[in-house]
Amino acid sequence: MPDNAPNRLELNGITKQFPGVLANDTVSFNIAPGEIHALLGENGAGKSTLVKMIYGIMKSDAGSMVWDGEPFEVSNPKEARAKGIGMVFQHFSLFEALTVLENIALGMDGSLSLKELETKVVEVMQAYGLTLQPDRMVSSLSVGERQRIEIVRALLLNPKLLIMDEPTSVLTPQEVKQLFTTLRQLASEGCSILYISHKLNEIKELCHNATILRGGKVVGECNPAEETSKSMAEMMIGGSLKEISKGETNIFGDVLLNVGSLSLAKSHDFGTALKDISFEVRQGEIFGVAGVAGNGQNELLAVLSGEALAKGEDDIILHGKSIGHFGPNHRRKVGLCCVPEERNGHAAVSDFSLSDNAILTARHRKNLVKTGMILNGPSVAYADEIIKKFGVMATGSRANAGSLSGGNLQKFIMGREILQVPEVLVVSQPTWGVDAGAAAFIHQALVDMAQAGSAIVVISQDLDELLALCETISVINEGTLSKAMEVKGISIDEVGLLMGGVHGANNVDQANDIDKEVSNAVQA
Amino acid sequence: MQFRLEKRAEISRSMLYFTPVAAVLLTMIMGAIIFTILGFNGAVAVREIFLTPLTNSLKWQDLAVKSAPLIIIAVGLSIGFRANVWNIGAEGQYIAGGLAATGVALITHQMSGWWLLPLMGVAGILGGMAWVAVPAFLRVKLNVNEILTTLMLTYVAVQLLNFLVFGPWKSPTSFGQPQTVLFNNDQILPYIIPGTIVQAGAPIAIFIAIFAWVLMSKSIFGFQIRTVGTAPNAARYGGFSANQTIWFSLLIGGGLAGFAGMLEVAGPFNRMVPQFPTNYGFTAIIVAFLGRLHPVGVMVAGIVLAISFVGGEIAQTTIGLPNAAVGLFQALMLFLILAGDILVRYRIKRVGQKSEVSSS
Repeated sequence: MPDNAPNRLELNGITKQFPGVLANDTVSFNIAPGEIHALLGENGAGKSTLVKMIYGIMKSDAGSMVWDGEPFEVSNPKEARAKGIGMVFQHFSLFEALTVLENIALGMDGSLSLKELETKVVEVMQAYGLTLQPDRMVSSLSVGERQRIEIVRALLLNPKLLIMDEPTSVLTPQEVKQLFTTLRQLASEGCSILYISHKLNEIKELCHNATILRGGKVVGECNPAEETSKSMAEMMIGGSLKEISKGETNIFGDVLLNVGSLSLAKSHDFGTALKDISFEVRQGEIFGVAGVAGNGQNELLAVLSGEALAKGEDDIILHGKSIGHFGPNHRRKVGLCCVPEERNGHAAVSDFSLSDNAILTARHRKNLVKTGMILNGPSVAYADEIIKKFGVMATGSRANAGSLSGGNLQKFIMGREILQVPEVLVVSQPTWGVDAGAAAFIHQALVDMAQAGSAIVVISQDLDELLALCETISVINEGTLSKAMEVKGISIDEVGLLMGGVHGANNVDQANDIDKEVSNAVQA
Repeated sequence: MQFRLEKRAEISRSMLYFTPVAAVLLTMIMGAIIFTILGFNGAVAVREIFLTPLTNSLKWQDLAVKSAPLIIIAVGLSIGFRANVWNIGAEGQYIAGGLAATGVALITHQMSGWWLLPLMGVAGILGGMAWVAVPAFLRVKLNVNEILTTLMLTYVAVQLLNFLVFGPWKSPTSFGQPQTVLFNNDQILPYIIPGTIVQAGAPIAIFIAIFAWVLMSKSIFGFQIRTVGTAPNAARYGGFSANQTIWFSLLIGGGLAGFAGMLEVAGPFNRMVPQFPTNYGFTAIIVAFLGRLHPVGVMVAGIVLAISFVGGEIAQTTIGLPNAAVGLFQALMLFLILAGDILVRYRIKRVGQKSEVSSS
């Protein structure tokens, strides 16, 4: 491309604030004509918010955009389409009961007769090697074919910039190959592509440049072809993936938690199915589950806590007792406590007092209820004990959970479960959005608890946290759990690659096949 | 200048108590304006409906009689509403309870004894529960919206009532009037204050409200209801079953509505007649919301709505206000309570002109 051509799109200091979270913090980067630009980051890094502003669905609080050398502002997607911006969403908006052509017609801004439209659709499909029959019912199409409808819809506008939001999350490897061919052809004709993903091997294969977002900020720009998956994973996950020194390996006791061949169907469309998950955790051991968000962590916690029931009662065995068919109360009574990721509205009720929140999960193990009546004295006393022992900054046990800061509420929730002294504790994102002081306190409490003889499972996206805490870790990706690896002497490359999804694409889940995968990824 | 609603970090306690009072006052003001426009003396209409029942001590016993069923039904509904279970067909459950009690009264008509009234009470409760069990089952098993099913079953109950009093239950001595025989003396509620029309329903209503207050605030059952209604995910995590909560809250609402039906049929009516449905079941929805879904608030709100009923009758005779006027006032009140609720969770914030370029 000529050097003097203006950038297709320049973002300058784009900022978007949501209540309580800065989704985009002065984000700036450029996309040249014909460039395939990757936007890389974990879930929640601010990728979707950013593209929604480019596509006119949201409005930025600050910052400006330049389109082909001219100031650019769109207030709705129709205006964005008129400028030449097309977008293919992660989740399609198609009518199942209509044909391919009818669906495309419904998405068009201009008015064309069906006949004219069909001619254009066929032209576009031939030009880009997209096979679709215009008169097929959408309900009879595969996910890959449905995505093609969305792509055709975008291509009919002769876009100058095509935004693809996690396009391969629903595709088979063959469909991915086909998609990449189409995208490369588009780019060679001068269309810019903004490609959103957290899959490192795809980005290495496809993209010319990458902008990495973390916590709403640009934390790096790179040429994916020159980077390793590890280096990009480090930028994406945050900080360097440093080796940490641990003391001598503990002597572990009995197996307290044994999960075997646990599978769980998706509970809703955006969920992840769990596939054949097996692991065991021994007395005194902290077992880590690493992985990029949205790969089945919430589902795993739900099926361990009893909020979702396992298919077989033997799928989950607590110290020799089958508990797969037990609900949350029953599991707590026999010694399995859990802390879900979301504090407000899941682990705690914001509108309830701290003592009421203590009753929520501790009423059986701490005897806070007798003959159906709440024992006020013991409930307040237990809440006070948590507040004192875990250094929770609150006005007292009468304070509403919602009035506490994230870190303090998390300390309260962790304290509520830890002081029940369960045999097994499962926690998800124990320090997510928590200040460093509270995080260190929670980490120490977990280590102390394991030393006192409990088995602990920590599900976290923060790899540093897992490496610091755990003796054993394993990686969850697309609902599948990798083999357990000892943290001592672990290779960060292995973990980083497993998290980036290499093993998902290659359908290999054996950690000892990693070397082969690394060479595959490098070749790609 | 623009105004914007901004979410409060915590719900406002003061607004929680202020908005129902404001809603009642606004109802009076708007009602006065509407009736003035319609050609009545609006100020007098409001005075007759809202003040005369309070200033005229002869009307106090009417208030006790009217508020008792409203309070009993609204207490039951408020428990369900707390759990986000929307039973709006209490009128049907009230009729079903009244019919069940009537059935027992007709079967035992030749008998006597203290046990007749308790038996009719149990029948009333079971009748209301049976009527609401259908929506509960459909909601839990097939996820059918209980708002629709409870409401629709109300009209079924009305038809059943008409069928029975025009048909099999019609008194042979009523000269063709559609009504059952008069209940016998052991089947009629006793008067508790001599020389008045106040029957046992009033103290029972107070007892039920206090019992519900303790249940909701002190028992783990009340905790379950509150948790399911406030944070369903937290409730599931805490081990509370959503389906069980739906069943319990609907059965309690239906049971209490049915019980109120029994108290009415064995009290003021003394027999089953086609005029038995008096909209208590629908008005109780307003009572529940005006009382902030709290049993003690419901007692106060029950009296407020009873005032509007009694006052409506006064206004009919004194200034010739149409009967529908009461319904208008009550609907206006519910509308304003619900509209005012937004101030509990949001505050109104003034937005400067320069901060936002456009918000259209």
